[in-house]
Amino acid sequence: MRAEHINPFIESVYELFNTMLQGKVERGPIGVSSGNDSPRDIMAIIGISGPTRGTIAIGFPAITALSMVGRILGTPVTVIDETVSDGVAEIVNIVAGSAKAKLNTDASRPLDLSLPTVVYGDKYDVQYPSKAVWLEVPFTSDLGDFNLRVTFETVPQ
Amino acid sequence: MKALVVDDSGVMRKVLIGALGRANITDVDQAADGKEAVDAVLAAEYNLVLMDWNMPNMLGIDAVRAIRASGKTMPIIMVTTEAEKGRVMDALKAGANNYIIKPFEPNTIVSKIQEVLAKAS
Repeated sequence: MRAEHINPFIESVYELFNTMLQGKVERGPIGVSSGNDSPRDIMAIIGISGPTRGTIAIGFPAITALSMVGRILGTPVTVIDETVSDGVAEIVNIVAGSAKAKLNTDASRPLDLSLPTVVYGDKYDVQYPSKAVWLEVPFTSDLGDFNLRVTFETVPQ
Repeated sequence: MKALVVDDSGVMRKVLIGALGRANITDVDQAADGKEAVDAVLAAEYNLVLMDWNMPNMLGIDAVRAIRASGKTMPIIMVTTEAEKGRVMDALKAGANNYIIKPFEPNTIVSKIQEVLAKAS
């Protein structure tokens, strides 16, 4: 996985902020994630399958998740509950869906998204498959900080 | 004017119900997957359906096919993250009338709903 492979996902985050979130976002430097540090309260995860397969995860501190879901709904959200879980799942779904259209140049071999999964808690580790390289990008925004992690590989035809 | 909003995300259903409200459509039912959508459409008359693609139990595109196979002709707008051209073409071929790609600007979806309803009337 090369660093530029994460660019469609970064672009999708910007699109999300320019449209549904109507906010400002800035990305930090792209790095390699070890998976052993999970300083986030909520992580939304989704898989891509097909000629390219991989996983996309967005980690949010609770305050960011509340702000982002509140902005989407147009009403303040103050408690981490099913609505917030549902909202962050939709956020990762939108980011991954938008990016996969940019990644996929072969119309005869479409990419498919899994249904998103949401993990809560600040004490979890993510155990990656041994050969997987995860790229990580931190973001700052007017709705709070969050990070994006992506790993994928191209499956030979 | 009665609409059906189909999405497995409750948050997205609320967003879409809000957009329908701004288009003066307040009589709205909800379904959380394609199967529920087909059941709802067979049990009631709707003037408009907003349909997600990726959902458990039955995909939105399969629900569109089932709705059209049942003879129902109300406008169906796909509202989905599936942005590839091939997917858009598949949806239109299956019987969807229009296509909105997530993420969308709130005003865009209201005008698209109004445009589709104007064309259908």
